[in-house]
Amino acid sequence: MSPRTALLALAEILAWWAALTVLWLVLISTVDTLELAVGAGAAGAAAVAARAARRAVSGP
Amino acid sequence: MNGWTLTAALVLGGGVGATLWGVATGPLRRRVVAQNLSTALACPALLLLSQGYDRPSYVDLALVLALLGPVGTLVFARLLSGELAGDPPRAQGVTWAAAGLGAAVVLALCVAVGPGRAMAKLLVVGALLVGGNLVASRALSGGFREVSRG
Repeated sequence: MSPRTALLALAEILAWWAALTVLWLVLISTVDTLELAVGAGAAGAAAVAARAARRAVSGP
Repeated sequence: MNGWTLTAALVLGGGVGATLWGVATGPLRRRVVAQNLSTALACPALLLLSQGYDRPSYVDLALVLALLGPVGTLVFARLLSGELAGDPPRAQGVTWAAAGLGAAVVLALCVAVGPGRAMAKLLVVGALLVGGNLVASRALSGGFREVSRG
């Protein structure tokens, strides 16, 4: 993996992570620090899965 | 009883009741359409009940239904693609009516709750409900060749 593709992959995962964290914050009932931490963690795992799914459907 | 619960009762009794009848009787092409519409109508009913009873947690049920209902229909569209290919269902009228009902309910609830996170959540549910319903209906009528090819 060249530095450019690694950077692109990181950017894509970061974009997924930001969008999914916002989605988490919209869907929960009360926003506090614990929810924020759990949401950021879950969104991180989901971001990796989302990129894998996107690559499985439309290729790299 | 208030206007929200009354409307929910009408949607549940008239709409979901009619779809249950449609699922249980008639040819396959009508049954799959009724199955798709049942979740598309139960979801707005849950949204109305959440406002009528002032229980925001009901919105979560509507969210799950809006997400999983069209997914279930896609499974039916895939598994029954052979049977449906010769006699594909055409249900544009009821599909757009259900989508319009969902959009109207979400709009009314957005006006009721006012701007904020709750409104954003309602809009997410509404987008999933209307978009999922339209995609699932198109898949049933053979709109996506990939569904039948696998």
